[in-house]
Amino acid sequence: VTPRAFVSVAAVLLGAAAVPVRAGEIAVEGQVGYFDMAASNSASAVFGSTGGVTYGGAVRYSFARAFFVSAGVRTFSKDGERVFVATPTSVVSKLGFPLSVRITPIFLNVGYRFRQGKMLVPYVGIGGSINQYKETSEVAGQGFSETSSKGGFLGLAGLEVGRGLLRFGAEASYATVPNAVGLGGVSKVYGENNLGGFTVVGKLALAFGGK
Amino acid sequence: MRIRSVVSLLVALLAASAASLPAFEPDVVKAVRRTAAAVPPGAFREGEVIVSFRAAAEPRDVERDLRSGGAREVHRSRAGSRYLVLLDPGTTVAAAVQRFAAMPEVEYAEPNGLVHRSAGTTFTPNDRYYKYQWNLTQLNAERTWGIQKGKTTVAVAVLDSGVAYEDYTDPRTGAVYAKAPDWGDTVFLPGYDFVNDDAHPNDDEFHGTHVASTVAEATNNALGVAGFAFGCAIMPVKVLDQDGVGSFFALAEGIDYAIGYQQGGVSPVKVINLSLGTESYSETVKQAVDRAVAKGVLVVAAAGNSGKGVVDFPASLPTVVAVGALDERKERAFYSNTGADLDLMAPGGNCDRDDDNDGEPDCVFQQMPDPDFVAQGIYTQFCYCGLDGTSMATPHVAAAAALLFSQGFADPAAVRAALEQTAERLGGAPAGGRNDTYGNGLIRPANALPGLGLDQGPVQ
Repeated sequence: VTPRAFVSVAAVLLGAAAVPVRAGEIAVEGQVGYFDMAASNSASAVFGSTGGVTYGGAVRYSFARAFFVSAGVRTFSKDGERVFVATPTSVVSKLGFPLSVRITPIFLNVGYRFRQGKMLVPYVGIGGSINQYKETSEVAGQGFSETSSKGGFLGLAGLEVGRGLLRFGAEASYATVPNAVGLGGVSKVYGENNLGGFTVVGKLALAFGGK
Repeated sequence: MRIRSVVSLLVALLAASAASLPAFEPDVVKAVRRTAAAVPPGAFREGEVIVSFRAAAEPRDVERDLRSGGAREVHRSRAGSRYLVLLDPGTTVAAAVQRFAAMPEVEYAEPNGLVHRSAGTTFTPNDRYYKYQWNLTQLNAERTWGIQKGKTTVAVAVLDSGVAYEDYTDPRTGAVYAKAPDWGDTVFLPGYDFVNDDAHPNDDEFHGTHVASTVAEATNNALGVAGFAFGCAIMPVKVLDQDGVGSFFALAEGIDYAIGYQQGGVSPVKVINLSLGTESYSETVKQAVDRAVAKGVLVVAAAGNSGKGVVDFPASLPTVVAVGALDERKERAFYSNTGADLDLMAPGGNCDRDDDNDGEPDCVFQQMPDPDFVAQGIYTQFCYCGLDGTSMATPHVAAAAALLFSQGFADPAAVRAALEQTAERLGGAPAGGRNDTYGNGLIRPANALPGLGLDQGPVQ
């Protein structure tokens, strides 16, 4: 997914949302949860674990009673150290040089909300994302930095609780961001190129309009 | 085999009163040329064979076999079932090997072959210090030291002619040895002399001290020259005699000693430097190397100085890192062996050239016993001398490996892979590839030490 394609899809979706059959609902969401990286071997080597806390926010617009589009951003950052791995099966050598990674997906989703207007509203969706990747490290006074931006796809499912202004919810999603890593470093050794992963977040939303 | 040496900055240690007087006299520059002892291919110790018995062999069968095989005297290896058999007069080595090999309890029998140092044949004076260590510049040493200087918990075992590491008088021979002047705070682990069978592996030649100094000569002490992994420890193990020749049995014993040594339950020896080789094969040495590798020790050996298209043994073993020599131009030194078993290159020098135009030949300069005095049986006079050869290239790789171990590299496979992956390809070798002339290329430890990021590749 190129940035241009992503913007085109976003424009189409927003255009569709702009002509609702009935007045829509807008919700502003805050999200916090856990992100588990698909590149698990690489993450384990560098961070000692495969994931960590992620947080972000989104704006959702529901239209035609049950459909919605949402756009948002999350961020995930984790500190580790530079390592050396000779082969996928060999021991990980931890070298002690600090390393930080930040992954920032900007996503646009479209989905369907079941039982809209009820107390419990399950929903599903699919979407696309642009994923900013930044890796920095320092070795004896010399800094190393690498940034990239890659597109990806995701699928999600969630449950929202509440009918008034304040809503709570939980959402699980899986994103795939192919060919985002794996050109160097331990991700190359392990043959892992997917920067996506599994995310579960809790949500607090303020909803306006609708009915 | 080749030794090219340069005597430089002759360090005249004042013998009896040295302790209370400045250690140096004004520079005396002299050139000395001498020919190294040559060991023809396949040479072995007359009257000696190595016999290894199967683990299941009963002691009485072993004793019977040794006697019937023609043993006059036997020396049991520290490793267990391996024996150095001194034969009865009149029993030839070939006949004894054949006789032992036919015995069902015997795993193998072979002649006690000879290895020899892999240095040059002449040496030229030099009275200058670090700025003349083009070899360290070629390795980007200053950046390397900015990352890692080495830790005393990591030791390089130097299996060679010994090391001038202590003041000692041999009660048997009366020979007086002195500690070389530029060791500073360098840590020495207890070593062993497998030539004279004692616990004082002093250097009665010069080769081993030069090699050890490349690894860990005191640095940043305003004296002499620098060592590449000067924060690491040295274990001196003498397996070569005063002519630079040693036997397979002694070499295997030395390897087993180095890997068996423990300090507080930990084995500090992470690297074994073998600046020696031969054109013959030895199962005894091969098995000792296998044990070293199995214990997590990286074995580094000289490719040899014949200029041939095949690497010497034991460097030719796949488990051993075979090191060839470059000159100051990063071109293969003319004497450096090539071949499919060649792994890495490091500065070994060429004392016939002065490509950096510093007025000194492009040898590798380190401290060592002054060969002029050694020839007279005096081991208390030292010089900063230049040698060239794959013997000199090898300790650069051993030192680089020790630095990687000091940084946290977990095992020899990782160290080897990091050195090979980050090596500077030479001779038209493609990125990530090799050729038979330069192997994987020139080691770049400053690039290997940082390791890998999640997506950041080897530093180039």
